Amino acid sequence: MAQNQRLTVVPTVTMLGVMKSRLVGATRGHALLKKKSDALTVQFRQILKNIVTTKESMGEVMKDSSFALIEAKYVAGENIKHIVLENVQNASIKVRSRQENIAGVKIPKFEYFTDGETKNDLTGLARGGQQVQQCRAAYVKAIELLVELASLQTSFLTLDEAIKTTNRRVNALENVVKPRLENTITYIKGELDELEREDFFRLKKIQGYKKREIERQLAASKQFVEEQFAEKVSLQKGISIKSAQNLLSAGEKDEDIIF
Amino acid sequence: MYGFEAMTFNIHGGYLEAIVRGYRAGLLTAADYNNLCQCETLDDIKMHLSATEYGPYLQNEPSPLHTTTIVEKCTLKLVDEYKHMLCQATEPLSTFLEYITYGHMIDNVVLIVTGTLHERDVQELLEKCHPLGMFDSIATLAVAQNMRELYRLVLVDTPLAPYFSECITSEDLDDMNIEIMRNTLYKAYLEDFYKFCQKLGGATAEIMSDLLAFEADRRAVNITINSIGTELTRDDRRKLYSNFGLLYPYGHEELAVCEDIDQVRGVMEKYPPYQSIFSKLSYGESQMLDKAFYEEEVKRLCLAFEQQFHYGVFFAYMRLREQEIRNLMWISECVAQNQKSRVHDSVVFIF
Repeated sequence: MAQNQRLTVVPTVTMLGVMKSRLVGATRGHALLKKKSDALTVQFRQILKNIVTTKESMGEVMKDSSFALIEAKYVAGENIKHIVLENVQNASIKVRSRQENIAGVKIPKFEYFTDGETKNDLTGLARGGQQVQQCRAAYVKAIELLVELASLQTSFLTLDEAIKTTNRRVNALENVVKPRLENTITYIKGELDELEREDFFRLKKIQGYKKREIERQLAASKQFVEEQFAEKVSLQKGISIKSAQNLLSAGEKDEDIIF
Repeated sequence: MYGFEAMTFNIHGGYLEAIVRGYRAGLLTAADYNNLCQCETLDDIKMHLSATEYGPYLQNEPSPLHTTTIVEKCTLKLVDEYKHMLCQATEPLSTFLEYITYGHMIDNVVLIVTGTLHERDVQELLEKCHPLGMFDSIATLAVAQNMRELYRLVLVDTPLAPYFSECITSEDLDDMNIEIMRNTLYKAYLEDFYKFCQKLGGATAEIMSDLLAFEADRRAVNITINSIGTELTRDDRRKLYSNFGLLYPYGHEELAVCEDIDQVRGVMEKYPPYQSIFSKLSYGESQMLDKAFYEEEVKRLCLAFEQQFHYGVFFAYMRLREQEIRNLMWISECVAQNQKSRVHDSVVFIF
């Protein structure tokens, strides 16, 4: 596919005006999109850094919370997990999502909120209550981190998509649309110039014809005047030059004349 | 007659006492625990355990071994030994052996009741019950719709019936918090067990009252510490304390008004046996308290074996086995989670 095709248009002056304004629009759009792409890339790098630190601390926190669970199981008995699970009606920590706008890109963000009190403060009353509460605190921290990590990762993916699209558009404008428009403008200008030249040439030609016409007419009228004078002179001499000449030159043709 | 048990005990109890002493000899020693603590993976643990009495139970497990499987199989061994002893026992030893498992039975009943209230599947709940606490009509607990029916239909036939009727009126059954119910039942159970041992008399009464008193006091301290800062009122708290033990009645009065750990420590330090436990903890720290209590319990349980011709050895053996299973769970979880440095935090050596 040729990179520098041009649009097929009628090469008129109005079209030229239209193309020029389109080119201006394309240039401005290109500059704006480039700015948007840069802003998104900056945000992207920031999020990437955050993701790395969060993931590292995630490893630590999950380890701690698993260990807290072991301690709770040790003191309160193996069944503590089942006891807690059976006693639960609803989740007390829930996640809400909102939309945030970063440089024009809508990114979902998750935050957690506590819904309702857990009435399980008395779990492990006779033994292990402390460990159960500690385990609970450790897991709440783990959930916080997980929710944050989820937010970061979704924004990472969304921003990635947005950056790809924006860059695609920037490149398209730069390498396809603008050259095409420029070529079209050049073509229209060329065509207009050629039309002008044709007109000019036609005008010149017509002028030439007119001049020759006038000269020919002048020459014809001059000859006519000379023949008239010659006729008059010959008539005075008694013979019409015209008819005498005619008889001699056109002898074989006339039927009436037998010899 | 105290002191003359040697004459008549062996007629009915001699065989089983010998059996239980044999079992006791199979408990893991400090050397075994040291070996286990050095293991790198769960397969190493399985290998070490196959050299002990747990061998036949763990042999057939496929290779990616899970910590819960290890614990399950060890519990299975305990259950087998218990059943063997139970079917060989005569009265009153059989009643005594049954009393030992009532604690687990209470846990199972509470678990199924809460699960049913929240509409969980009965089969799943049954799988989560402790095997030592199973009784025949346990599955029918799931049928009852509220507590009154529950009591009327199911519980009245179980050995737990008197605990429900003594301490709980039928209004309370519906509203009461599950934990409070569980602890009230357990309190009634301990008192009942205590009375039963007193009735048996002799060395059994002496040794068992000591062990049960320790249990009651430990529960009182734990309840106090765990209910600091919750909505449990002082009167409720006092209702959960058992009415025997070293702390009864004055210690209970003081514990009921405690509002933080240092006050509890102050109360406990007046009683010499518990002073030594609390002196191991530094101020303001209560995490190590549970381990300290376990250590003290193990010491007292081992002492029970020093005397012959009493039923306390059975109770002591069951408790020691449970502690061993707890140790095994702790070690396998530390190994599985790569936290070998914390292994020695909570392992209680029995010998």
